[in-house]
Amino acid sequence: MEDLKIGVYVCNCGTNIAHVIDAESVKNYAATLPGVKIARSYRYMCSNPGQEMIVEDIRSQGLNRVVVAACSPRMHERTFRNACRTAGLNPYLCEMANIREQCSWVHNDSVAATEKAMALTRAAVLRVACQEPLEGLTAEMCPTTLVLGGGIAGLTAALELADGGFPVVIVERADRLGGNLTRVDLTAPHFDSARDLVRERIAHVRGNPNVTVMLRSELRSLSGFVGNFTAEIATNGGKPTKVRVGNVVVATGYKEFDASRVTHFGYGKLPNVITSFDFERMLRAGRIETKDGRLPQYAAIIHCVGSRSEEFHAYCSRVCCMTALKYANEIKSAIPTCYVSDLYIDMHAFGKGCEDFYKRSSEAKTLFLMYGKGDHPVIRRAASTDDCDMLIEVEEKLSGEHIEIPADLVILMVGMEARADAADVAHVVNISQDKSGWFIESHPKLDPVATTTDGVYIAGTCAAPKDIPDTVAQARAAAARILAKIAKGKIEIDGVFAEVNEEQCSGCRMCNELCPYSAIEFDADKKRSHVIPAACKACGACVAACPSAAIKGRHFTDAQIFAQIEGVLL
Amino acid sequence: MAAKKLQIALYWGAACGGCDVAVLDTNEFILTVGEAADIRLWPIAADGKYQDIEAMADGELDLSLFNGAVRNSENEHIAKLLRRKSKLLVAFGSCAHLGGIPGLANLTSKEDIFATAYLGNASIEPGNRTVPHPKTQVNGHSLEIPAFYRRVYRLSDVVDVDYFVPGCPPEPSQIKNVLLAVVKGELPPKKSVVGASERTLCDDCARRKTEKKVKRFYRPWEIIQDPERCLLEQGIVCMGPATRSGCGVRCPNSNQGCRGCYGPAPGVVDHGAKFLSAISSIIDSKDPKEIDAILGTLPDFIGIAYRFGLPASILQRRHGA
Ligand SMILES: Cc1cc2nc3c(=O)[nH]c(=O)nc-3n(C[C@H](O)[C@H](O)[C@H](O)COP(=O)(O)OP(=O)(O)OC[C@H]3O[C@@H](n4cnc5c(N)ncnc54)[C@H](O)[C@@H]3O)c2cc1C
Ligand code: SF4
Ligand code: SF4
Ligand code: SF4
Repeated sequence: MEDLKIGVYVCNCGTNIAHVIDAESVKNYAATLPGVKIARSYRYMCSNPGQEMIVEDIRSQGLNRVVVAACSPRMHERTFRNACRTAGLNPYLCEMANIREQCSWVHNDSVAATEKAMALTRAAVLRVACQEPLEGLTAEMCPTTLVLGGGIAGLTAALELADGGFPVVIVERADRLGGNLTRVDLTAPHFDSARDLVRERIAHVRGNPNVTVMLRSELRSLSGFVGNFTAEIATNGGKPTKVRVGNVVVATGYKEFDASRVTHFGYGKLPNVITSFDFERMLRAGRIETKDGRLPQYAAIIHCVGSRSEEFHAYCSRVCCMTALKYANEIKSAIPTCYVSDLYIDMHAFGKGCEDFYKRSSEAKTLFLMYGKGDHPVIRRAASTDDCDMLIEVEEKLSGEHIEIPADLVILMVGMEARADAADVAHVVNISQDKSGWFIESHPKLDPVATTTDGVYIAGTCAAPKDIPDTVAQARAAAARILAKIAKGKIEIDGVFAEVNEEQCSGCRMCNELCPYSAIEFDADKKRSHVIPAACKACGACVAACPSAAIKGRHFTDAQIFAQIEGVLL
Repeated sequence: MAAKKLQIALYWGAACGGCDVAVLDTNEFILTVGEAADIRLWPIAADGKYQDIEAMADGELDLSLFNGAVRNSENEHIAKLLRRKSKLLVAFGSCAHLGGIPGLANLTSKEDIFATAYLGNASIEPGNRTVPHPKTQVNGHSLEIPAFYRRVYRLSDVVDVDYFVPGCPPEPSQIKNVLLAVVKGELPPKKSVVGASERTLCDDCARRKTEKKVKRFYRPWEIIQDPERCLLEQGIVCMGPATRSGCGVRCPNSNQGCRGCYGPAPGVVDHGAKFLSAISSIIDSKDPKEIDAILGTLPDFIGIAYRFGLPASILQRRHGA
């Protein structure tokens, strides 16, 4: 090997690092370490002049390794790797020592923190000496996308991709497309027909030659990796067929909360206590009536059924408040003499046009009653002498009074919850669920439709409750992410992944089931395991487990890790 | 060049004698060796005094096979002496290679060992309870015995070792191979492990392997095993996947789990740690309580995983006991 010529760059990060750590001493110390040719400190290493300093030194001094003692690699590893690449140095010959998050930000004692910064820098210098140049790989990207679920989310994503000219397979479990929206009448806040919205989408999907719709179907397994998945799809419970797909959009939606779980509302016992979905059915049938066919004189709507409660779901289901207002409006226009009361905890009207809708609705003579979050209204049968079917008791929060209101029809605004089989879906496509069962995104703010499995996206209400506009936006976002990838034609695979040395592998198969990303395959003929680089996330689980040391974690070899440990301990 | 007889020494440090017996187990072959070589020291089988070795010129011996660990000052002294006098010094057998069974003593202390052996032992008569001291005065005479060290070392901890022959004890056929390689000058680069394979035992084991998932571990007598199927998959602890092959798959072929005497696979730093991460990777549960319960069915884990290699483990590297 050629002689080591390591450049060490100690960043001040303005005062972020320098106010605790004596960066000059760290720099001077680094200059004495084995193989170090140059050590410098600078105000902002990540700035353009900082990066150029590295590029210039690599070029003029022939540096063959670079250490940047600065912030977390998560923050700027890419920046400094790119600087190395610009100067013609393999980016994997660059190492960072985290003297900010792991040092200046967490210590007050300057002397001790400076010593620790030196130790971290020494660890990086010893490690970088063992680092090897690495190259990434490329793989083909299959242009077909699998869309799981044919609700508004799935339909929208499919159309977006198909309009882009690429094949889509929609796998829908039910015997028709449309999902939950086919059960909704008009939509809040603009009173468009949900059926029309869905029909329009379905018609386009049906007319698009790029879309294959598989009804009464389910995804049995998904193997492979981004760009190169094999999906096994079974229709009518029959033998599965194999389909090659590059990406997957999971759009399996939600189910409504089961109102009979809330005993004090008497759902299932009191005939005129119904859920929002029951009421939608009435609206679509065109007649609002009680069980025995009378027009209700008093109607009451109760919010947050199953939502925002300690007992059931802590989250807000987001669409029911506006749907409740929609109901109040629809009852008023169908039966102008009907008294409508609306029992809510807080009125959540955050969507576009929603606050306005609330204002208009409150002027339309609906009686709004606020109840406490830990509290709940109680419904009981009225006496035969009363002019109503039921009485609702509520501690009204604004007036502070115990109020009793009459009702002939009570509508429970049931929230949304994750589907019963969400865990199975998560398992098949290898994504995670949060504590409520919703699928987890890669980053809640910056990467809301991707997941931790490359090539698997989530859209719509399977990720959390949301209304149609948000659902559609996510579906289009997922499609856009996939289109961008398909447009590239190939996928680039990072140079850091695990590798099995077939000479050393004994075929013991200990690693096979271990990989959280299903990146390991066993070749039964050769009796050897191997890693699919594109699927490997370099977590290292198999590297540690392989008892014959046949698996090497590229960029995390034993030699590199021991050198690093040696560095901090010396 | 006239065929000069090979000059050989065999020595035992802290050992059970099995390694020497394994050499004898090469049967007639050892007689051939006797003809082709001068055995200058072999405490178990031949004459030869330490003074004779001390009187030799440096490098006069062609080959020294050192079996046993380094437990006391005598072991270390002879190890250094043989190193000086030999062209090739071989750590022979598990104890010299990795510390071996005696190395398990590193789990306790010199004081505890003495207390058990010389003070607390029921067979010692009261009044005779005394621990050994390196120097003692008896009737005006000064007696010296080797000093017992605070911990057990493998040979390479005290001297530079040229080759390592693993096994507890090494397989006679492998011993032959090594001796023939010495005679023919066909040895691999120095510091290599010789008389063994570059693969793991699993690779040579004929049992059927599928994916491993273990719900509980069994001691061999607790279960009627399937002789065709991987032992580990049946919950019988077997170090085969983590152990260098070369023994001829002796234990699994006799329906016993591999005990790991041939040491770790090439490139592995810590045999026991490697086996621990392997074992923990096949436990079939995600529930912490259940995992604890499954691990509870594994008796004496350190005794299993480090049976032959505690002194070689990184567990004790930095702070010697
Ligand atoms: C009473 C009520 C009224 C509403 N009114 C409004 C409104 O006025 N305005 C508004 O913006 N929003 C409204 N919403 C919200 C709206 O329903 C959702 O935003 C929308 O339906 C979400 O669509 P989706 O595609 O995510 O899910 P879904 O509609 O649930 O579609 C999911 C599809 O996936 C299928 N599927 C599920 N699992 C699988 C599987 N494993 N394999 C294959 N297929 C599967 C299902 O069969 C279904 O077809 C309302 C909600 C409720 C409860
Ligand atoms: S949207 Fe309104 S009714 Fe629905 S859970 Fe949220 S606050 Fe309750
Ligand atoms: S754990 Fe190692 S030896 Fe066993 S199959 Fe996997 S790669 Fe091969
Ligand atoms: S390093 Fe992790 S992700 Fe990669 S193959 Fe091994 S277990 Fe799977």
